[in-house]
Amino acid sequence: MSAPLSSVEAIRLVAKREFVTQVRSRSFVIGLIVTIVLFGVVGAISAFIAGQQSTSTLGVTPGASALAPALEATARTQDLTLEIRDVAEAAGRSALAADELDGLLVADPGGRYTLLGRDAVDERLAAVVGTAVRQTELTEALRAAGTDPDALEARSTVAEETLEPVDPDRGQRLALAIVGTVLLFISLSGYGQLVATGVVEEKQSRVVELLLATIKPWELLAGKIIGLGAVGLLNLVVLGGIAAIAGISFGLLTLPGAALGMFAMVLVWYLLGFFLFASLYAAIGSTVSRQEELNSVVAPMIFLLLIPFILTVNLLPGDPRNPLATVLSYIPFFSQTVMPARYALGTAELWEVGIAALLALVAIVVVVRLAGRVYRNSVLRTGARVSLREALGRAA
Amino acid sequence: MLDIRGISKRFGTRTVLSDVSFTVRPGEVFGFVGSNGAGKTTTMRIVLGVLAADSGEVRWKDAPIDADVRRRIGYMPEERGLYPKMKVEDHLQYLARLHGLGPGEARSSTRHWTERLGIASRLGDEVQKLSLGNQQRVQLAAALVHDPEVLVLDEPFSGLDPTAVEVMSKVLRDKADGGIPTVFSSHQLDLVERLCDRIGIIADGRMVAVGTVEELRDRDHGVVLVVEGPPAGWADALPGVQVVAAAGTRTTVRLLGADDQQVLAAALAAGPVHEFRRHRPPLTEVYRDVVSAAAPERAR
Repeated sequence: MSAPLSSVEAIRLVAKREFVTQVRSRSFVIGLIVTIVLFGVVGAISAFIAGQQSTSTLGVTPGASALAPALEATARTQDLTLEIRDVAEAAGRSALAADELDGLLVADPGGRYTLLGRDAVDERLAAVVGTAVRQTELTEALRAAGTDPDALEARSTVAEETLEPVDPDRGQRLALAIVGTVLLFISLSGYGQLVATGVVEEKQSRVVELLLATIKPWELLAGKIIGLGAVGLLNLVVLGGIAAIAGISFGLLTLPGAALGMFAMVLVWYLLGFFLFASLYAAIGSTVSRQEELNSVVAPMIFLLLIPFILTVNLLPGDPRNPLATVLSYIPFFSQTVMPARYALGTAELWEVGIAALLALVAIVVVVRLAGRVYRNSVLRTGARVSLREALGRAA
Repeated sequence: MLDIRGISKRFGTRTVLSDVSFTVRPGEVFGFVGSNGAGKTTTMRIVLGVLAADSGEVRWKDAPIDADVRRRIGYMPEERGLYPKMKVEDHLQYLARLHGLGPGEARSSTRHWTERLGIASRLGDEVQKLSLGNQQRVQLAAALVHDPEVLVLDEPFSGLDPTAVEVMSKVLRDKADGGIPTVFSSHQLDLVERLCDRIGIIADGRMVAVGTVEELRDRDHGVVLVVEGPPAGWADALPGVQVVAAAGTRTTVRLLGADDQQVLAAALAAGPVHEFRRHRPPLTEVYRDVVSAAAPERAR
């Protein structure tokens, strides 16, 4: 015999079904594997590119070999690992043609230098060689004029100091911020889309009428969002965990504390962002009747997620205290992407995160109510697309 | 007793239901008939609370129906719908749980109904892998799996093969005999006539007739007699009688005040009578007459 069913129980049952169905589905497992492989490929490619750039080999003809100490000193200041090889010009040219050298420095009898490249001159090499030659010539000229080059150097140097200690881990923090931002973007857009698809599936298969004869629209909507949100959370935990373990074991990540903090921050902002976006996705999904119609109506949602993502990856790495980013990090629909990145970069205090989270919660309350109304008014109507005015109107 | 009282519903400027009332008693199978767009589905959706009525109310056991009572209704929507990729067993158990059954009850009830409806061997299959007829049986199981107190079925027989129609008719009859008010809509009037204790006819959003098949027949047709024997013409001058048809030795008359014994006496006086019987028009005919009789009323 059936007993009264509480809302909590109804939501739990719906959420459990969504979770189990999704986690068991082939697309979830494949999606997870593809994302992991993608992460690995991107990592491998960047490691490869970094390895490529680390050493440059420069051939130096006998006439220019006196420059070697100056070249080495300059390369050090410019973070370039330079290997100098003394070669005759002819041998050097053939080595350059065979890609054994990255550049060949030739001095003609008149004392003029030429840097040869194969089909292009390596820019970093050109910078090092140019500086070294200029420096050497300048020193000689100064000596000839009777000025002590070292004294001039000391007088003309500007010392650099900062009020606060320089963060030696800036690079890692930046990497954490970028990885976190990308993970958030992928999760919010992916699982938001899944909510819309699920709503349309129920509408298209008409099972929604059977469900709504038993439970209330808001219970069904809440269960769906919570269930799929939990799948997204699981996905994030798995991916974030793998990324952290890989980072630590390859020695790329030496800040487990900061990484953990950022991880927690990503999870919190995922949840805040997910409720906000998923309810919008659900509302939009409920206004159409078939999957084919869905793509065109959810397109604006992608922009809504893409704009804060693009702003974050463009504004913050060069300028972690960018005023526009600081303002946006408090505004719902932007905060879920901008604030965790600011936090990872160390430019947002916890209380700032707290205020932004509170504002996001207020937005969630408003959006969930509106989305619930649209959903309730649209989900049983099939056929033509439900207009926004009808969807927001009073109960049908 | 399921009591639908004065329900009205408009969609925009279009009136879909106006003042629809009928009752379904415990142990009764109630057939709900009407043409497409007459308002059957809207009425059923309002009973289930899927739609809200503009006015009027639905009562169950002398109290307005609420969410808890609705959860104890077995419903088969006109728009059939199940999750295509869910397994039959998981699906039925899920629906049973949503109707408030515990996990154990949900499991045993799913077993029971799939066996009864002949789909027990398909429990592990995805719904979409089943034939349409079998999906229909799953849909009926979905309406029954939580042991409902009331059954509301919208076109439960459409798309069923004759065997399934038999199974389903038997289930409905058994449920009603168990004291459960059962209301279903159908266009298959022969089936309605055979299965239902009472019927309601709806046309353009108004109930135009409610009653047993017998009552509806008498109300609109009066008593019609068929007499086989004496040559035509014997009844033409008979008072209180209207001749409906007369061909050769067969005369059909409608009683308008006269009683059947007077007619029989007049016929015997005219010649030998080989057949004398009451004409019982099939429901199809009754339905057509009721609906067309209501038409001028609605046009006004």
